[in-house]
Amino acid sequence: MNLNRFFELAKEKGIAESQLQISKSSSVSIGLFHREIDTYKVTSSQSIIACGTYNGKFATANTQKLDKDTFEYLIEQIIRGATYVEKPNEVGIFPGSPKYKKGSVYSKALEETPISEKIALLKKVEEDIYKADPMVTDADSVRYEESSSESIFMNSFGLKLRQKSNYASIVAGAVLRDGEETKTYYDFFVGNDLSDFHEEEFVKGIVDGAKKKLGGKSCPSGKYPTILSQEVASSLTDYFLSAAIADDVQRHSSFLEGKLGQKVASSKVSIQEKPLTKNIYFSYFDSEGVACKNKDVIKNGTLVTYFYNRETAKKDGVESTGNAVWGANRMGTGYGNLFVKPGKKSFDELISDIKEGVYITEVAGLGTGMNPVSGDFSCQAEGFLIKDGKVDRPLSLITLSGNLLKMFRDCQGFGSDVKMTDSSISIASMRIKSMSIGGE
Amino acid sequence: MISKSLALEVLNAALSTGGDYAEIYLEHNIPDVIAVENGIVEDCASAESYGAGIRILKGIRSVYGYTSDLSRKSLLSLASSLSSCYEGERVLTVEKIVKKKVRNINPIQTHIGDVPMEEKIAYLKECNEITRAVDPRLVRVRSGLYYNRKDIEIFNAESAIGCQFENFEERGRLSLTAIAAGEDGQMESDFSGPGRFSGWEWFKNELDYKAKAKEVGEKAILMLTAKECPSGRYTVVIANGWGGVLFHEACGHSLEATATAKKLSVFSDSIGKQIASPLVTAYDDGTMPNEWGSNNIDSEGNPTKKNPLIKNGICVGFLVDKANGRRLNMEANGCSRRQSYRFAPTSRMSNTYIAAGKDKKEDIIKDTKLGIYVANFGGGSVEPATGEFNFSASEAYIIRDGKICEPIKGCTLIGSGKEVLENIDRVGDDLELGQGNCGSLSGYIPVNVGQPTIRIKEITVGGRGGKLE
Repeated sequence: MNLNRFFELAKEKGIAESQLQISKSSSVSIGLFHREIDTYKVTSSQSIIACGTYNGKFATANTQKLDKDTFEYLIEQIIRGATYVEKPNEVGIFPGSPKYKKGSVYSKALEETPISEKIALLKKVEEDIYKADPMVTDADSVRYEESSSESIFMNSFGLKLRQKSNYASIVAGAVLRDGEETKTYYDFFVGNDLSDFHEEEFVKGIVDGAKKKLGGKSCPSGKYPTILSQEVASSLTDYFLSAAIADDVQRHSSFLEGKLGQKVASSKVSIQEKPLTKNIYFSYFDSEGVACKNKDVIKNGTLVTYFYNRETAKKDGVESTGNAVWGANRMGTGYGNLFVKPGKKSFDELISDIKEGVYITEVAGLGTGMNPVSGDFSCQAEGFLIKDGKVDRPLSLITLSGNLLKMFRDCQGFGSDVKMTDSSISIASMRIKSMSIGGE
Repeated sequence: MISKSLALEVLNAALSTGGDYAEIYLEHNIPDVIAVENGIVEDCASAESYGAGIRILKGIRSVYGYTSDLSRKSLLSLASSLSSCYEGERVLTVEKIVKKKVRNINPIQTHIGDVPMEEKIAYLKECNEITRAVDPRLVRVRSGLYYNRKDIEIFNAESAIGCQFENFEERGRLSLTAIAAGEDGQMESDFSGPGRFSGWEWFKNELDYKAKAKEVGEKAILMLTAKECPSGRYTVVIANGWGGVLFHEACGHSLEATATAKKLSVFSDSIGKQIASPLVTAYDDGTMPNEWGSNNIDSEGNPTKKNPLIKNGICVGFLVDKANGRRLNMEANGCSRRQSYRFAPTSRMSNTYIAAGKDKKEDIIKDTKLGIYVANFGGGSVEPATGEFNFSASEAYIIRDGKICEPIKGCTLIGSGKEVLENIDRVGDDLELGQGNCGSLSGYIPVNVGQPTIRIKEITVGGRGGKLE
């Protein structure tokens, strides 16, 4: 496919400026159930997403149908969109940044490792889950998945950028039964170097995770000093920072509106976005072709910047922060590779002076239990009671409620037990002065 | 999308190593969106998805793959790479493919895509205007129309004579959002999303869009005055319609063969057993004409059905797809669904509801001394292995002395499916359906949930408002 032809054709049809991204991706995934390969999936797909300005307005189009008519289709859709969209676009297409910190995190070694070795590793995970404890009734969702993708970004100013990446993930869960009671626990590994995967530790974590939950009961409703596990802290941090997306702030639908340069969290909270970190989330240009850069987002509790694309940046009279992300039907904004500054205390030290509190290790239902506009949330939770500075009995079927702004202002610090979560947030256990728990 | 002869060739390539069932699922989907925000058309865009998925079963094993390249070379290469997962001799050769008739239970009069853009924009602007006129504190009002036309072709074979099915899906959904800003940076929002497997005629003639647009603005404003929801264990009355998400999460997912076949559901061995209060009878019905969750045939070519799940509290059936049916030794019952060609199909809900009972809603409220009335939900989730579920209310009130009183916000209900089904002590006569998108193994799919007004004797409620007094 001669991609330059798209720009010629677009110009002919009156699309003054345009850009496109063509992506190819492939994946393989293997699932085990009862020691057999239960599911096997191979995929390959391609797609083109394009956008452009027509009569001073901006529109996007995308398709997975790549043939001789693709360019015409995309152009027709952009013209249709721009004809009916009433919002003027003031930024057009971005010519290009002066400099890009190019890099690649593609792992040839991962690609070249034979699939048989990966299956053997997965089978070992499953077998070891079964062997780990007599109460294990099932190893659930034991799955290996490997994806690779390659994309080319081009625009009508002649800018051409490429990115190629791959990663593997291993997911597994244990189902434990004790009499009538069933508990499950799942964990995952994601990365592009399988030598970072520590099988024994992984399996032990899963089985212990489920086992510790057995006998879980509710607790009296009330306010408790709270420790959030890295995963839970990560989910809530993700929602907190999504309120810093400039588009929502400008449309009066964010609780961080008007808070730039102000304290939005306790001084213990510092968060950086580092897209140039060489891990699987690495990215050196955004969806408008703007060079990505590492930056402070919250420093000692003060909100340093919102996340901008070019359009929202122009509105606020600042530079784009390189956070543009293709949305379904417009240029959106996103972020990744966030680093929350850890504390110095170990987990045990972090909880040592809590007389009675809760340690929340899992939450469910935040997708609907979160009001992203106000930051109020309420969701299902699980975890443990903390008594006299130590983790005590398991808690199940309780609710955790709060408000994000209040919660971050009540943050008393982080542990030193940093973990990179699947939302690409590096974070340690987080201590909150007090949160509402619903139970008996 | 491909010729019968190519399909035959691909099916036979797929079956070359001992597979006993092969299927090609082809799809061409064009979703469109138009959205008006604060009076201005902000979005008008289209996307096109196109591709094929191939599945081969051998006993209870399954392999799946997809490609967005429908050339002969690409499809044959996918079929051969999938078949290489099995080691064995061919047991089945497909000799010919016969085209099967597909009944159409979802007639469309006017395709939404054919309606002039100007008319759709005028409709959305009217909705937007109605919502904005409710109160100046509504700072962001968005009125969107999402619609798609999906053409589907399925070729499958389990014997020497393969089948071909041609089907379509065409849905539209109005998406109304209002965000209200109060004093001291307080913000609340409300959402309403009525939708159907139907043409423009429903939006224009049947849907009371003006009332919906007004209501979404009123609700967002009302929530500004809402107090924090209390926490503890209380009696909860759940409104009809969207309230059915309770049954969907608490019970529906655990009755899908995806969970029961592998004995990973709390209801795995429950057929014939009492799993709910005798007041509860529930169905999953994919045949309701033009409903949001309906389909002419499922993703495996089977006609959709009305499947009874619970009769008077006794579990009478699961939702069974072909692959899981083999594990369960049960026939598939027309409920195999997927978001797109990118997902292998599996057993999923369609229009799932608790059947109407005899009580009047007014009486249920009147007979509740102190409790919570949940008028609307955001949604929820469940872990089928434990049956533990959660769902969050987007509109709720305190009931005092048999009357609906002050509004509350930030309300989450949690429990285990078994417990909550047994605790249903009143069932109203006012069955209604509500539209949602359900996410699970085979992606996001449109589903209706439904129920009459019901009462749960006691359930855990979580919020920040302390004890209910």
